[in-house]
Amino acid sequence: MINLKINGQDVQAPQGSTVLKAAEQAGINIPTLCDHKELTPYGGCRLCIVEVQGFRVPIASCTLPVSEGMVINTNSEVLQKSRKTILSMLFSERNHFCPFCQVSGGDCELQNAAYHEEMTYWPMQPGWNDFVVDTTHPYFILDNNRCILCRRCVRACAEITGNFTLSVAERGAASSIVADANVPLGESSCIKCGACVQVCPTGALIDRTSAYQGLLADVTEIKSVCVGCSVGCGITLQIRDNRIVKIEGDWDAPVNRGALCEHGRYDPMYEMRARITTPLMRKNGALEPVSWEEALSAVADKLKPLSGDPQNGVAAIASTRLPLETLNTFKELFGDGMKSGLVTSTEEGMTTQAVSALADKVGTFEGHLDTLKNADVVFCIGANIAKSHMVAGFMVKRARPFGIRIISIDPAEENEMDEIANISLKNKPGSDLALIEGLKAIIVDEGLGRTPLTIANPQQLIAEAVEKTGLDVESLSEAARGLAHGVSPVILYGKGLTAQRNPQLVEALLELATLVGAVDEERVGLLSLKGEANSQAAAQLQMESQFTLNGHKAVFAAIGDDYVSKKLVERVSVAPYLVVQAAYESELTAKADVVLPVTIWSEQEGHYINLDGRVQKAIRAIEAPAGVRDNQAVLAELAQKLNIPLSGDWQRASQARHSSVVLN
Amino acid sequence: MQTKRAMILVSSDPESIRLGANDLIKSLNESLAAYGLQDEVDVSAIADIGRADIVPLVIVYPEATVYGPVKAADARYLVEEHLYKGRVATDLLAPPKQLSGHIGWLRSRKGYNPSEQRIVLERAGRIDPDSVEDYITNNGYEALGKALTEMTPLQVIETIEKSGLQGRGGAGFPAGRKWRFVRNAEGDKKYVICNADESEPGTFKDRIVLEGDPHLVIEAMALAAYAIGSDEGFIYIRGEYGVAYQRLEKAIQQAEEFGFLGQNIFGTDFNFKLHIHAGAGAYICGEETALIESLEGKRGEPRTRPPYPTTNGLWNKPTLVNNVETLSNIPAILRNGPEWYKSIGTPSSPGTKVYTIMGNVNFSGVIEVPMGITLREVINIYAKGMKPGSSFKMAQTGGSSGSIIPAALQDTPMDFESVRKAGVSLGSGALLICDQSVCIVDLVKVLLQFFRFESCGKCTPCRVGTQRAYEIIDRITQGQGSFEELEQLPELAAEMERASNCGLGQTASAPVRDMLKHFRTEVEAHIRLGVCPTGVCPMVAEEETAPA
Amino acid sequence: MAKPKIASDWMCGCAGCHMSLLDMDERILQIIELADLRSTPITDLKHPDEDGVDVGVLEGGVNNTASEEVARMFRKRAKILVALGDCAVFGGVPAMRNLCGVQEALQRAYVDAESNEPGSQIPNDPELATMTKTRAIHEVVPVDYNVPGCPPDADVIFYVLSELAQGRKPELKDELLHWD
Repeated sequence: MINLKINGQDVQAPQGSTVLKAAEQAGINIPTLCDHKELTPYGGCRLCIVEVQGFRVPIASCTLPVSEGMVINTNSEVLQKSRKTILSMLFSERNHFCPFCQVSGGDCELQNAAYHEEMTYWPMQPGWNDFVVDTTHPYFILDNNRCILCRRCVRACAEITGNFTLSVAERGAASSIVADANVPLGESSCIKCGACVQVCPTGALIDRTSAYQGLLADVTEIKSVCVGCSVGCGITLQIRDNRIVKIEGDWDAPVNRGALCEHGRYDPMYEMRARITTPLMRKNGALEPVSWEEALSAVADKLKPLSGDPQNGVAAIASTRLPLETLNTFKELFGDGMKSGLVTSTEEGMTTQAVSALADKVGTFEGHLDTLKNADVVFCIGANIAKSHMVAGFMVKRARPFGIRIISIDPAEENEMDEIANISLKNKPGSDLALIEGLKAIIVDEGLGRTPLTIANPQQLIAEAVEKTGLDVESLSEAARGLAHGVSPVILYGKGLTAQRNPQLVEALLELATLVGAVDEERVGLLSLKGEANSQAAAQLQMESQFTLNGHKAVFAAIGDDYVSKKLVERVSVAPYLVVQAAYESELTAKADVVLPVTIWSEQEGHYINLDGRVQKAIRAIEAPAGVRDNQAVLAELAQKLNIPLSGDWQRASQARHSSVVLN
Repeated sequence: MQTKRAMILVSSDPESIRLGANDLIKSLNESLAAYGLQDEVDVSAIADIGRADIVPLVIVYPEATVYGPVKAADARYLVEEHLYKGRVATDLLAPPKQLSGHIGWLRSRKGYNPSEQRIVLERAGRIDPDSVEDYITNNGYEALGKALTEMTPLQVIETIEKSGLQGRGGAGFPAGRKWRFVRNAEGDKKYVICNADESEPGTFKDRIVLEGDPHLVIEAMALAAYAIGSDEGFIYIRGEYGVAYQRLEKAIQQAEEFGFLGQNIFGTDFNFKLHIHAGAGAYICGEETALIESLEGKRGEPRTRPPYPTTNGLWNKPTLVNNVETLSNIPAILRNGPEWYKSIGTPSSPGTKVYTIMGNVNFSGVIEVPMGITLREVINIYAKGMKPGSSFKMAQTGGSSGSIIPAALQDTPMDFESVRKAGVSLGSGALLICDQSVCIVDLVKVLLQFFRFESCGKCTPCRVGTQRAYEIIDRITQGQGSFEELEQLPELAAEMERASNCGLGQTASAPVRDMLKHFRTEVEAHIRLGVCPTGVCPMVAEEETAPA
Repeated sequence: MAKPKIASDWMCGCAGCHMSLLDMDERILQIIELADLRSTPITDLKHPDEDGVDVGVLEGGVNNTASEEVARMFRKRAKILVALGDCAVFGGVPAMRNLCGVQEALQRAYVDAESNEPGSQIPNDPELATMTKTRAIHEVVPVDYNVPGCPPDADVIFYVLSELAQGRKPELKDELLHWD
């Protein structure tokens, strides 16, 4: 610890901390505009300048590292005057008239800083450059006239998202924030994650959907979990009048540390599907509104006779976007209670079955997303993390300036990783096992392995790999060496690999990981991406089988707020009796005999297991519309009508089998 | 080497080339061939000799007769007269008023003037910059050889420390101490960078060295690398210096061929690789941390300090950044010893300083004089006095971030300590001499116009301060000035000086401060009387605000 | 001792600040007890007393030669000059026309706007004041107190006026200070 004195107060701070952070920890407030706790210090706004004994001029505290015996003054009269002058400069620079600004009245950090200094006016004559407002982006607006050039957005785009879209054009007073080489935002390489909007201290970047919908003081903030995919990002929901005004990444969430992607931040705000608010029942060939009692009784009557028939009774399928509690109840109701032989999830184990199978055999073998932090090589196979699990993709993309090397192997023609990968290979579909064995053989053959492994005839395996993958030996060797040369490599694999449902593939990958030191006693740099929010929960509940109807007399589909694939609709429509538990109208509900309207993600509570085993709780943020019932409650009521007892012990159920990742 | 009877030197700085120096060389060679003299007479190109009025310039050795300006069409006549018939071609002689044309002047070559002393510009204009042999013949690489074979790196640093050499980039930081910082910084990899991004308005002293004596910079950088324990260096050269870039490129190639760069230099285990990188025209990249950012391929914005480049420089490695002029002193110091160096200049600021003189004076160009000479001496001796009818009003030093020195301060010795005491700065060593016809408000407006355009925009005080100050002064020149706004100027200036991130912002307010300190009456006349005393400012609003 | 005199006027503003002043309702009686309300847009006197007033309150920015005259007259006649509201303090909404220039703004307002009759033209009566760049009052004459807000709350105005009328310096902070 370093000892220093701030405003006469003795302060201790860890080595490498900045004066600003040290002061903050000691409860001493230093105003700042360009600094942000999740971004590298920049030292641009100069509002945080402090006097340091022995220095000729004041120094920006956000970039000043603490050193032993430092004596700091943060609030002398001169500094106060300085801050006022700097704020005056900022106000006079561009159009900072508060009465017609979206963030005015508490959300604007510039305005708040000036209130803090008790400024009633600024003395400088404003001289504005007139900037064109960029409204080309579908989700947000960039208004350089409100910009204070703190570059938080530029840093967020690079350091949080790793997309490097935003930068500064021109110099001096003509500087402005631009996308790419000064193209309109809507036509740029922007991937619409909105991190820039989240960090903007003024009204220069504002959301279209949340603008003028309520300031922080008007909304209730609720911390919850995004159910967009298996990454399970922490989110902060801003609620006003039972409506989500804005979704932001939760800075304190351990998974994403504030990062969020387009799907987490904006998709729910642009939900266009029609909501179902009353139970529907098919009468004379058409769906008609009925009471909950009528609908549930009808379903119970229909299902009761099918109980105890695992082959031809009821087939049950539930969305992996549903909470763990609901999935468990679903399993207890249809599996344990009705004794159905087909209780599965909408993912049908595509992303987990092979992984779980290996876990059953060897126990937990997968690692943690955090290993990406120190990774120097990332090896992606059958995975398009830049698209399917965007925030995990950010973690890879943003490490590029620090020399991370990316190897991407995927037969799929379109894979966003290709653009950023150092090595990108397209093997023939179905040749993954040969490829992995080939890579292992090359590494062993060249003596690059870090753990002992004997391969009888490496040359033969290499030749096989070349033949089956359709790749030349040079490309394979390049990839093998790239992986083996990593000091702390991480291997990520996705649906491209797991959908083949071959545990051997995963086992081969584990061997490869051990061989190159991605997996050792200290760290486990091997992770599958899973699929939707609760893939892993479905896996733990063994809802992983393929949904193949075989004389089933009824199908119960708990879709929740999920989208329904055409393939599922086709398969389900042959069922004589179809019950759909869903929030939105879809092709599936149109074919249903009974539709039970249920809550969406933000209207219900429950747990989710993310891809690296975190069991996280999503919180109810808003009340469901009248007539709509909770997913969990509907299943419970149905169980009651069917006289099926429910234990509700989802914790035990989810730990009943070995998980591929550590659950916590 | 074949012995020649005579040698013709032709100036080949960009201005000479523009005026046909290349054609002239070609014609000279053709004419020599026509007279069968090609084996007896050698034609060499030399760099800028610090004068622009008589180029292309031709010097014929051994008589050292100076001709200029010479056109390609004159070549045959000149060869016939001087080299074939053996008599001076009097009608082509350079005007004797500026240049003596006598052999004695070139032999001693201490400059045009009696007290001018050349260390930095020792060879520039005297040797063929494209010839490493010429450089070697003139003591070149002697210092490097001596250091590598006879001295330890620490001894080199000690020598520089003892010499008292101060950085010539503007701040005057002791060079030896900086070297020691880098030497002592922890790190397996260290870099040497030569800051050749000379962009201060009116300053072109580094260009003279780079164009006329490129090997000097290379030798100095190799010495610095040896001293601090580096094996790789970069020359960050101003993008507009095309000729200098080519000469450096060639010089590096020659130095590599001769084993002055590369592996096992002088048979020791010292290796040094040197790269050149051309800037893209941003003034701010002359600031050392912005230069480093630019070298790394980023937007040229200064970093915040601490940490300093000496510990966290290029790619976060300890880095030594020295200016061309600073480096150019190094080989001579090592050759002649620190005591010799200290004997030149003043005790607190040893050595010489190169100035570029321009303005309302009779001579414009580059001079190298010992530290401690006064502005009055510069004007009256080296600049050959004010132009007829002109009287000295003020001088602007060091390009834009320098000071405005009023006539009252012209007897201040120009060394780091004295000018600091007088509250002015030497800056980059440009001297813009202004007479009574120059309006102070207009001058400061022009300087601020430059700054507001060149501010990188990173920090608020510089970005907005330069803009606001410019607008206020612009309004004064348009007769729209007010005392309220005039009162804001010192506040703005103080804030820029106090809170800016780098030297640009901290010094950009200097002209404003000097204006208010020395010429307040003149500024107030603009506001109070609505008149520009020198008649320079328009004193009417530029835009019509009333409806038609 | 005679009660201190207060005068007010509006320039390039929307009168909203004076509406806000009236929003103090019955508390205006307290102000009248403390001070003498002289010329204001809501009283019959047209100009502040020639022998001066103690407090001058101005709403709106300075956007033409006429308002410039008003500002100068108030500065001359008032011991303490208060700029009331964002337009007076910063220039406010009218200052947005500085971005396009007076001519373009007039053209848009009087000729190009969809609601104008065909053949409309920019008023050009020579008696009309000449339009200028829109400025905050402090850019024209020195201001003693800036009271921002669009409009400032009645509470703020009451506080400022009652403090000034009682010879104290009003200090705006916390809830009293807002710019929107």
